[in-house]
Formats: sequence, C-alpha cells, structure tokens
Amino acid sequence: MSRPSPGHRPATTPSGRPRLSIPGSGLAKGLAVTLRTMTKKTVTEQYPDAQPDLPPRTRGVIGLFEENCTVCMLCARECPDWCIYIDSHKETVPPAAPGGRERSRNVLDRFAIDFSLCMYCGICIEVCPFDALFWSPEFEYAETDIRDLTHERDKLREWMWTVPAPPALDPGAEEPKEIAAARKTAEKLAAAQAEPKEGES
Amino acid sequence: MNDALDVAWRLLIIFVVFLTFPLIVGQTEHKVMAHMQGRLGPMYAGGFHGWAQLVADGVKFAQKEDVVPAGADRRIFQLAPAVALLPYLLVLLAIPIGPSKGAVGEVIDAGVFFVLAVMGVGVLGSLMAGWASANKFSLLGGLRTAAQLLAYELPMLLTAASVAMAAGTVSIPGILDAFRWWWLPWQIVGAIVFFVAGLAELQRPPFDMPVADSEIIFGAYTEYTGLRFALFLLAEYAGIVVLCGLTTVLFLGGWHGPWGADGLGWVWTLLKTAVLAFIVIWLRVTYPRLREDQLQKLSWTLLVPLSLAQIALTGIVKVVIQ
Amino acid sequence: MSLAAETHGFLSPTGVEIAFLLVGLVTFGAALVTVTTKQLVHAALWLVVALGGLAVEYLLLTAEFIAWVQVLIYVGSVVVLLLFGLMLTKAPIGRSPDADSGNRWAALGVAVAAAAALVWVVVDAFRATWIDLDGPAAGSTDATGASLFQNWVLPFEALSVLLLAALVGAIVLSRKAKTGVSQPTAGKADTGPVTAGRTQASQATPGKTSASQGTAGKADREGTP
Repeated sequence: MSRPSPGHRPATTPSGRPRLSIPGSGLAKGLAVTLRTMTKKTVTEQYPDAQPDLPPRTRGVIGLFEENCTVCMLCARECPDWCIYIDSHKETVPPAAPGGRERSRNVLDRFAIDFSLCMYCGICIEVCPFDALFWSPEFEYAETDIRDLTHERDKLREWMWTVPAPPALDPGAEEPKEIAAARKTAEKLAAAQAEPKEGES
Repeated sequence: MNDALDVAWRLLIIFVVFLTFPLIVGQTEHKVMAHMQGRLGPMYAGGFHGWAQLVADGVKFAQKEDVVPAGADRRIFQLAPAVALLPYLLVLLAIPIGPSKGAVGEVIDAGVFFVLAVMGVGVLGSLMAGWASANKFSLLGGLRTAAQLLAYELPMLLTAASVAMAAGTVSIPGILDAFRWWWLPWQIVGAIVFFVAGLAELQRPPFDMPVADSEIIFGAYTEYTGLRFALFLLAEYAGIVVLCGLTTVLFLGGWHGPWGADGLGWVWTLLKTAVLAFIVIWLRVTYPRLREDQLQKLSWTLLVPLSLAQIALTGIVKVVIQ
Repeated sequence: MSLAAETHGFLSPTGVEIAFLLVGLVTFGAALVTVTTKQLVHAALWLVVALGGLAVEYLLLTAEFIAWVQVLIYVGSVVVLLLFGLMLTKAPIGRSPDADSGNRWAALGVAVAAAAALVWVVVDAFRATWIDLDGPAAGSTDATGASLFQNWVLPFEALSVLLLAALVGAIVLSRKAKTGVSQPTAGKADTGPVTAGRTQASQATPGKTSASQGTAGKADREGTP
C-alpha cells in the first residue's frame, strides 16, 4: 500500500544555505516530477479484477469461532451500539464419571451481528476472554436491504475461514505469553523429572 | 461540379478531424494525467484500456435532461455553446498539414489574422454563457474570462505578427514556405509566449481561473448540463488541437522536418501537434492554478514585454539579413 | 479595381451582389436592433451581428485583410470589452426600464446626418466602379499594405498619434482616480464605459515603450477601416 514518494529535494542545502537556483528551475523540477511519476508503475489496484492486497489486521468483518464461545455475553454488553444479539439456553451435561455431579453448560442458539450498526471499533474482539471473535479482512458483504446486514452465526462462522494466521512477530520481540507459559511448565516438568533421578543416584 | 465535390470532401474531412482529434486529446489527457498521478485512468469502456471512455461520456451527456434555469436569458443561454464551439471548426479550415495544395482546408490570404480573429470570437460564447446563466458564479467566470482574453490576446497577436514579419507574409502556407530551421532559435521566445498566451486564452490549467471549479464551480458553465455542457468541453479540447496546430505551423515549421520531406510532411505536422498537446496536458498536471492577479501580472509584465522584444529582434535580424 | 461599369447594368444581379445586399440588410437590421433594444447585453450581442455583417461585406468586396481585422478588433476585443463593462453594471436579465435616452431624437438626427455624409462621400468617390472578381484580389494584404504605406502614410501616422494620445489620456485618468478623494460613483449609464476604460488603462501601464508600441501595433490593424 505504501507508495514511493517522488523525490523531493529541500530548497536548502543541509547546511541551511539556500540553493543557488536559475529562474524557472523550480518549474522544470515540477515537470520532471510528473514525468518521472508517469514512467513509474502505477499504484492503482484494479479491485474487481484483482483482489486487493490487504494488511493482515484489516478490519473487514467480525468472524465468530463459535466452538470457543461460552455465551459469557461480555461482547454483547461491551458493544457500544448494541449490535450483537445472543440467545442461549442451559443444558445439563450428564456427569463425566459415574456418581459425579451433573454440570450445566451454556449452549449458543443465536449469535448475530448487525453490521448496519456495527462501527468496527473491535471492542468485542478485544474483550472476548475465550478468543471466539476475530477480525477478518473479508469486505464484500454488501446487501441491497439494510435488514440483510444482520448476519447470523453460520455466516459469521464462515468468515472465520477467511481469518489469516497471525502475522509473525517482529524480530527480537518478547515471545508470546502462551509459549512462555508452556515453556515454563515444560522446564518445571523437566526439572521435576530430573530431580528424582538425582536423588536416586 | 468537380469543384463542389472537392469542397464537400474537404469540409467532410475537416469535420471528421474536428470530431475525432479533440476526443483523442481528451482520452490522452485521461490516461497521461492518470499515469502522472500514479493512477491508471479509465480501464473499462470499450474493453482495451478504456479507449471508448469519451464516447461513453458523450452518450451519457446526450441522455441527460437539458435544463435551462428559470431566471436565465433563454435564447442566449442556449446559443452560447454553439458560439463557443464553431470558431474552432472554422480555424481548422485554415491550418495546413502538408506542403501540397490539397493539404489545407482553404488557403486564406490573411490566414494568421483569420485564425486569431476567429479564435477570439470563441470567447464570446463563454461571456454569453456567463451572463445569461443568471448565476453569480457564472458572472464571475464571465468577468474573469473577459479580463483574461483582453490580457492575453495582445501577446498572442504580437508574437504572431513577429512570425509574419519574419516571413514577409500573413498567409500560413506562405509562412511555412519561407520557414528555415534557424527560425526555431530566432523565434523561440515568440513561440513560448504564443503558446502560453494561447493556453491562457483557452483557460487551460494553470490558467483556469475563470473556470476554477473549486472556487467558482466551473465559472460560466455552472448552469449547463447535458449536451450543451459537452459542447463546451468539446470546445476546450478542440481549442487545444487548434492551438497546438497553430503553434506548429507558425513557429515549429509545420511539415518541415529533418527527414522525409517529400510526401511525409503531414506526419511531421501531426507529430509536432501531438507533442505540443502532450505538453499542454503535462503543464496541467504539474502546476497549480494561478491566482487572478498573478494571471494579469504574468501577461502584462512578462509576456507583453517579451513579445515586443521578440518583434524588435525579428525586425533587426530581418533588416540585417537583407 | 477596374472600370468595367459598361459591362454591368445597374440592376443585373449576380449571386455576389444579391448576397451583398442581403447581408447589408441583415447588418442594418442588427444595427437598428442594437440601438432600440432595451436589453443591454442583447444590444451588445446584436452589435456583434452588425460588426460581423460588416466583415462579411468586406469579404464580398474582396478586402479579406480588412475583414479579418474587423473581426479581430471589433468582435474579438471591443465587444468583449463592452460585455466586460456591462457585466460590472447592474444590467438585469430582461428589459432595463431606464435604457431610453431623452435625446434619442437628436441622436437619430446625428446618426442620419452622419450616414448621409458617409454615403455621399462613398458614392461620390467610387461612382460606378466595379470590382473585378476574376483577377487578383484588389483588397489582398499585399495591396492593402502597399497602398497604406505608400499613399496613406500620413493619415496612418496621424491615427497612431491619436490612439497614443487616447492611451496616455487613459493612463492619466486612471492615475487621478487612484489618488483622488473617492472612487467615482457613476450612475448606471456610464459605469460600464468608465470601468472599462479604467481597466484598459490600468492594463496598459507596464511601461511607456510597450504602451506606445502597442498603440502603433493597434493602429496598424485599426487604421484602415
């Protein structure tokens, strides 16, 4: 997306003295800039013919990874314009082990986002504690009727497939917390396994 | 009878040139301007790189409703586009593209005066439009048009007179016959002044203060829609063709070129005209619009003295070489 | 011009003569409408028709150079200046109720007298001279230039001086207006000409050389008609 800026030279030399200029040289420079731009490759993206090359964090549409959703309703409550609709019911799950207690579980019945109201602030995605909501770069979901812009869970689940893998971390960045935690556990485990051996010998 | 056929044939050719060349210049402007701004320009109409964009525009204009404002001076409002457009058609008659007798629409004895006179008439169309629209912006546009014409007509005439002096004739084919290659450096100041003044008279950017769309909403043409507006636009592009053709034949030697003197002279004329048309577009893309006072200042304090100096130089050289 | 009157009857209309007469009628009509119409801008535009008609008449008389100069100076510049002035006034679209002058009968008298004098002079000068259309054009640029600078140099120079005087006068007037106590608040009728004159003058100030040479150039083009 970034476009190479045509070479602008400042009117002064680095030492601050104004450049000696022949009259009309500024005009000629202007002409040179436009001519140089003409010979360069254009930056136009021919969208309907070619898909645009969007950056990975593009806020196109919100996808729902519904397997992760626990119907905690945080997203619906945080949404500034109340465009997320969630219906659910409770189900009792039979005890995992015989003689155990029955568990109750939230089952998602409806998850819909009204994209005619959504302002793409991304608060729902930020707030979701279970990583069930994601930004997708998909943007071609225009409808001819405003009511059709309320998209239901199946549509939102479909958009989940268009969510790109998270971009690679910058070199030298702190490692992700999950990996750090996992490694810490693994090290602890390894240490725990090594200790008894030392004791044995 | 044969004569009548010949005349009809010539008129037909001129008419076709009149209808196609401005469109070619317009399309080139679309594409060149786009690429100079890092864009692609029209890509769809007609299939290949949007070559039919202006045809499609024409069809669109023709379909639009023809609106005349209630407060307007109806007749004059409707007549103005024709007054703006027809002079350029007439000027095309007098521009020769080749050395043979058949390569000019009509040989006119006082050709230089003819073309300049008729081009000046075209501005009346803008004035009529500006006054008859009953719109303040249009009126401002008309005023600026008139002021600009008065300022730039003089340098244009003076430089044309300089060439006529050099050639000793005011007939355009006569000037071309007398042309020698060293006229190019001799008349270069005149050529630049003529070209710049012509641009200003056509109200092309950077001299487009009278139609400045961002401040007076296209000036005299604010109230126009549909076909009449299209005619004004066509007049602008026909004006570019005419100005480039005139500069070519008056200052750049028309059909004279380093090679291919026989039979291929018309190629030289067209080539030079095309290069000048490209420069017109190039200037439009590159420079910002001049303010109204800068416009007047440029003409009266720079172009007029320069053209007078050119006349003096022409006179001196003319006397010396005789 | 050749004296070939004997081959022409007084009323033996050829195509050119009929065209000449018709264009003359149109020109005359346009001139009448110019002075009688109450719509100011229409008057200016009818003036274009009248001046253009005159140019066509010059063309029919084979005076090509003068015809184009007529278009260049009068239609292209004078009328544009006129319209420029009119646009600065409060001229309404439609009729101006006060466009009539009280002394129009006197004006008519002056106009008729002037026309009579001119017609008499022209008729007396040329009598029954016919222009030979088949020969070399009698009014070509060559012929016009030769006669202008051989036979009519003195009137030509006198005209240049006259125009120079007018130009200098315009400059002087504009200077006065600049340093004067107040801008002239002219009435409707003369706002146009005054402003136009001021504009022309202020545009003609850049330098004395350019002004005087500009006048000479102008006289070059304007002197003949």
